[in-house]
Formats: sequence, C-alpha cells, structure tokens
Amino acid sequence: MKLVVPSDPRFLSIARNLVSEVSAICGLPDEARQGVTLALDEAVANVIRHAYKNRYDQEIELDCQANAERIVFRLLDEGEPPDPARICGQPLNDVSLSGRGTHLMRAIMDEMSYRQTSGKNELRLVKNLPRAQVSTAGS
Amino acid sequence: MQRTMGASTRSAGEITIVDLVGQIDLGSSPALRKTLLNSLKTTNHMAINLAGVSYIDSSGIASLIEVLREAQDTKKRLVLFGVEGAVLQVLQLTRLTGVFEIAQTEEQVLHG
Repeated sequence: MKLVVPSDPRFLSIARNLVSEVSAICGLPDEARQGVTLALDEAVANVIRHAYKNRYDQEIELDCQANAERIVFRLLDEGEPPDPARICGQPLNDVSLSGRGTHLMRAIMDEMSYRQTSGKNELRLVKNLPRAQVSTAGS
Repeated sequence: MQRTMGASTRSAGEITIVDLVGQIDLGSSPALRKTLLNSLKTTNHMAINLAGVSYIDSSGIASLIEVLREAQDTKKRLVLFGVEGAVLQVLQLTRLTGVFEIAQTEEQVLHG
C-alpha cells in the first residue's frame, strides 16, 4: 500500500489515518497502534522539517507492507540527507526542545534504519506483530 | 474526532484555564505555543486541560515545555490536568511525567 502526500503539515492526519488503519487491520492492540501512528507521524514531520526545510510543496512517499509477523513502513523523500547524529537519537534531558521525535521512533518501533536509494532518503520502520512476538519469546 | 486543534480560555478565580481539544501536531503546535504563551502573560497561575486532546506529537510536547520554561522563568505556576490516553502515553515515552505538575482533575487544580 502506498501513499504520496505533500510535505505540508496539514496532510499529516492523512498519513496518521493510513498507519492507524493498517496497524488495526494487522491486529496491533490499541496502545501499540497509537504508538506506531505517533512514530510514523514523527518520521513524516522530521522529513518536512529537516529534509525539506519546511518547504511544503515537495512529495513524501509512505509505503506499508505487512505479513503475519510484521508491518514494514518505508518513508521516501528527495530532501537533504539526515544528520547521522539525529538519526541515532539524542539522549533526552528534561529541558530539551528537540530530538524527542527520533527518541519516540526508537522507543516505539522494533527496527529503524536509514539508507539512500536511487537518490532518495529511505527510512525503514518495522513493528513486529503480537503473534510474532509471542513466537519469538517462546522459541 | 476533531481533526484540528482548538483552544479556549476561561477564568476560575485567580486561575486561567486553557481547554485544548483535537489533534496537536507539527501543523497546529505553532498556534498552540502562541496561545499558551499569550495566556500565560495575563496570569500567575495557568492550568491546561488536555482531556479533549486526542493526539499530540513531539512538537506539541515541545510547545508545552516552552510554556513551562516561561512559567518557571517568570515565577508562575503551570499545571496540566486531563492527562490521559494518547497524551499520557507520549509524556511517558518522552519521560516527562515528572517534569510537569500534573493534577488528576480540575477540582484538584481549583482546590489543591
């Protein structure tokens, strides 16, 4: 499933709705579904702010693929590559105003990786599904 | 579910209460920041009601932190209440539940 949205914050809710619905259909419990929706929203917001420097007329592609074990989200943009330090996530302190989005993504998702492919930035975020987690824990 | 953010302000004695509703994200957090900072200028005790907020992201949390900082710098009191569901989840994930003064209910804000 693929969604292409403008890099305009007014359309963030469309991406959130897609992620939430896909997560629900795949069987994620409510709290996990809310978390995954938040993680993807943070990822799209990061693209708008950092890759596209708040230019609202660019494109962001969100690709969702699911199987019995996991949901894989891929976010593609043609903006500036991310700062590796930001992708790694900064340690939180009580008064920092930035860096929380990346922290949230890492805290919520099971895998997070970045690469450049065909001149695009690709952020890959993976959430394991409950049955897969039970199976892994029991193996 | 309200898609956009809304804010309204009311007074309860010396306390200014800001009721927030809807979704707070990168698109609405600049307006949130402006509304809260303006309201803080007019009072020494502000309470933010988050019960009607169905969604908040890190940009919204950053706005709340900025208002908290301003309150601390100007020796004013800022309290959050109605912190539940998605809002509570984000505050917990960002380890901020201990940073803000959080009341369980509006009654507690008024008489606490």
